[in-house]
This record gives sequence, C-alpha cells and structure tokens, in this order.
Amino acid sequence: MKNRPLVAVLQFPGSNCEYETASVVRESGMDSLIFRWNQWKELSDSAPDAFILPGGFAFQDRVRAGTVAAKEEIMDLVFNQAQSGKPVLGICNGAQILVESGLVPGWENGRIESALAANHIHGRSGYLSRWVFLRAKKRALRVSPWLGMIGNSAIPVPIAHAEGRFVFAEEDLHRVSKCAALVYCDENGVETADYPVNPNGSFMNLAGIMNKEGNVLALMPHPERAFWMWQIPPWVPGVWGDRRTSLNHDPALAVEKGPGELFFRSLAGYFGLLSREEV
Amino acid sequence: MTEVSIAVRLKAPDPAAMTALSTLKRINPATCPCSLERYDYWRFIKPGGGKVTVEKIVSHFHDIVNPNKQSWSFSDESGSLHSWDEELVWTEVLVTDKVDSISENWTEILRRNKYEVERVMYSVLWRLGFPSGTSIADARERTLALTVTSHRDHGLLANPISQNISLLDPV
Repeated sequence: MKNRPLVAVLQFPGSNCEYETASVVRESGMDSLIFRWNQWKELSDSAPDAFILPGGFAFQDRVRAGTVAAKEEIMDLVFNQAQSGKPVLGICNGAQILVESGLVPGWENGRIESALAANHIHGRSGYLSRWVFLRAKKRALRVSPWLGMIGNSAIPVPIAHAEGRFVFAEEDLHRVSKCAALVYCDENGVETADYPVNPNGSFMNLAGIMNKEGNVLALMPHPERAFWMWQIPPWVPGVWGDRRTSLNHDPALAVEKGPGELFFRSLAGYFGLLSREEV
Repeated sequence: MTEVSIAVRLKAPDPAAMTALSTLKRINPATCPCSLERYDYWRFIKPGGGKVTVEKIVSHFHDIVNPNKQSWSFSDESGSLHSWDEELVWTEVLVTDKVDSISENWTEILRRNKYEVERVMYSVLWRLGFPSGTSIADARERTLALTVTSHRDHGLLANPISQNISLLDPV
C-alpha cells in the first residue's frame, strides 16, 4: 500500500543524475526509487505513478545519444505506461532517450519524429554548460503534469549538453508548435533565435517538447540542478538572481527552494498533494 | 584529385560497435549481421598535393588519428585495415550529420594551418558482415533496415531526421 505517489527514476549504465533527481522528488513530497535498466520486473511490480529518465550518458552515448537505452526492454514498460497517461519526464540524456524511443512528439505511435542533434548556432558549437532562461508555452502549462506551477515568467535553469538541438523532418514542421512545451528566452521572457538566449540552435528555440497528451515531457535543461536557491548563482539576472543575492549570508539560503522545484511541485500538485494555498 | 578519404579505427575492439551489435542482436535477431565494424571516415575535398597532403595532416593532428590507439588507411586501399572475413558478405553504410560542426571546425583548423584543403567532411562508416550465402541485394536491404531508425522497433545506426545515410557500392 503506497502512502505517497511513487516516482520511478531509471538508471542506465552511464546515468549520472539519478540520485539528486530522486532526492528532489522526495523533497517535493513524493516517494522515489531508483530502478536499474535490467530491473524490468521490479519496476513493473512497483507500479510507479510517474517516471523520470535522468541526465547522464546512458551507454556512454555509443552509436548516438539515447539510442541504445531507447531500445532497452525497460523502455517498453515506460512506453506502455506513457500510453496509459502516466507522467514521464526525460531530463537531458533522458530527453534524448525519449526522442529516440518515439515517445515525443508522439504524433504517430513509436515513430521517430525528432532528433536531438549536435549543438550548432552562429558563434557556438560543441558541448555547452551554462545557465539559460526558460518560458513555458500556454498549452503546456495547461496540459502537462510537470508544468502546472511554472507560471508565465522566465525561470533560470542550467543546461549541460552537446546534443540538444531539437530538429524535425521537413514534412512535420507545420505541427511542431503543438508539441512545444518550453522555449529558451531572456530573463524578461523574450525569445530570440540568437546565441546565447538560444544556446544550441534548437528549432523554434525549443528547450522541451511534449507528446500530444502532454504527459510526456522531454526537457534538455536540468531542473534538479536549480531545485535549491543555493544552487542559483547570484549573478543570474532577474528576480531569481536578485532573491539569491538577498539571501547571501542568510541561513534561509540552505532551505529556500529555487526555480527548478516548480517542475516537481507541479507533479505534486497533479497528484493532489498540495493545499489550496500552495496551488 | 578531387577527394581523398581515410578510414580510422581503434586498434582494440570498438566498444560502440560491440554495443551496437549486441543491441541489434536483441532487437532484430533474424536480420542482424554476424559482425559489425565502426570507423571514423574523413573526406578531404580538393586537397592540393593529394594523398601526400592528407598523410601530412594525419601525422600532424592526433585528434584525427591517435597513433597510440588507432590505425588508418586510405579508403581506396582496403585490406590493410579491414578485418576481411572472406566467409561473410560485407556492406558499408556512411552516416553523416546533416549539420556538422566537426567538419566545419576541422575545415577551419586546416585553413588556419595553411593546409590546401577546400573542405573536410566527417562521417561514421559502419561495415556489416552477413552470413555467407546472403545475397548482396538482401544484405543491402537488411543494412538499410538496421541503419535507418524510423520507429522505436526499427533501425539503430542513424536517425534520418538529423543524419544523412549513404549505402556504399558493394565491396
């Protein structure tokens, strides 16, 4: 008998963010367990309420980032659970796995309809580790269990990837806007297609895409690395950076939540764990 | 000479090729190859000085060929590099990123270093060895099916949304 919703965090050989991801899920009022890629039965028996594919380098990015993990048997289970409406979040390498699994954009079941290509934008290519700003799209705020609490303003979250540029087939471009969940923007929420606001040349400045139902979200930035206010650098512009600066030398810095927490609080709200005031 | 190509491979077994082969065996046991090899494949477009220039580049830049762990050969001089198993029917497929910063960066590096090369193009070359008795046509058909990732259950070696795929002429 579960007291709290269980969020399964999947660990592939080469995942490296599973422990902090599981930790922030627990900090958000839910249970979390880490399941290895070969614990198909244990995962199935646990009947998780949601799934997270954390960041890292699953299978050392061999062949292509995310593609070998996407073929693992455990992803069949995730695929079926996603089809039944359970929330699924892929962070960074997890997003690459979701794309290579055909779970997002998911216009046609299991069809590979997108790629996370190597970063490529005028002024920058290759691996990129920096803070960026994100803004959620209106429909995504409404339908995604991961975004309900994000609100309309820009939030700072770090990225760390070499292959984060969402691309699509020419014949699908007309429907990409429907899967747009989060876009890169400046601290005022204004989108531009130029580096560094769009850090990797992603189509339509996309930082995250979702399936048509909204329950599966593939997200390149790392919200678990912006969960606590102490994780935010004071020099980040905007209200979050100002708040961080104001907490310098304040004991509250150790416990105050940061912008990344909004993703996990959204899920807690989706499961009905928040009071009316918190919502 | 309009183009000189080289193929570079690890002296030790290639872990990416081993992982790819074990994955293919699991997801497509009926059509899977017996052997799979992976090479870095570099095309030097319009090299002034032809192969001599390319040899100089290879010996100068250990990021292209690290002699401690890799071996290489010109692609038109096969045999020295390939583990030719005469019992198998071999196919070759070239996978190239549609937008490729590796190629762009190396073109710029060679230009800065005064090498006479118009352009460098980087790809991954996969060689698939099928059981003897497999017809060339069947081997080529299987190669494409195993390469082009069109569906979560089909293909592995390339994502056609972001990569170009060229099946090379029969070996």
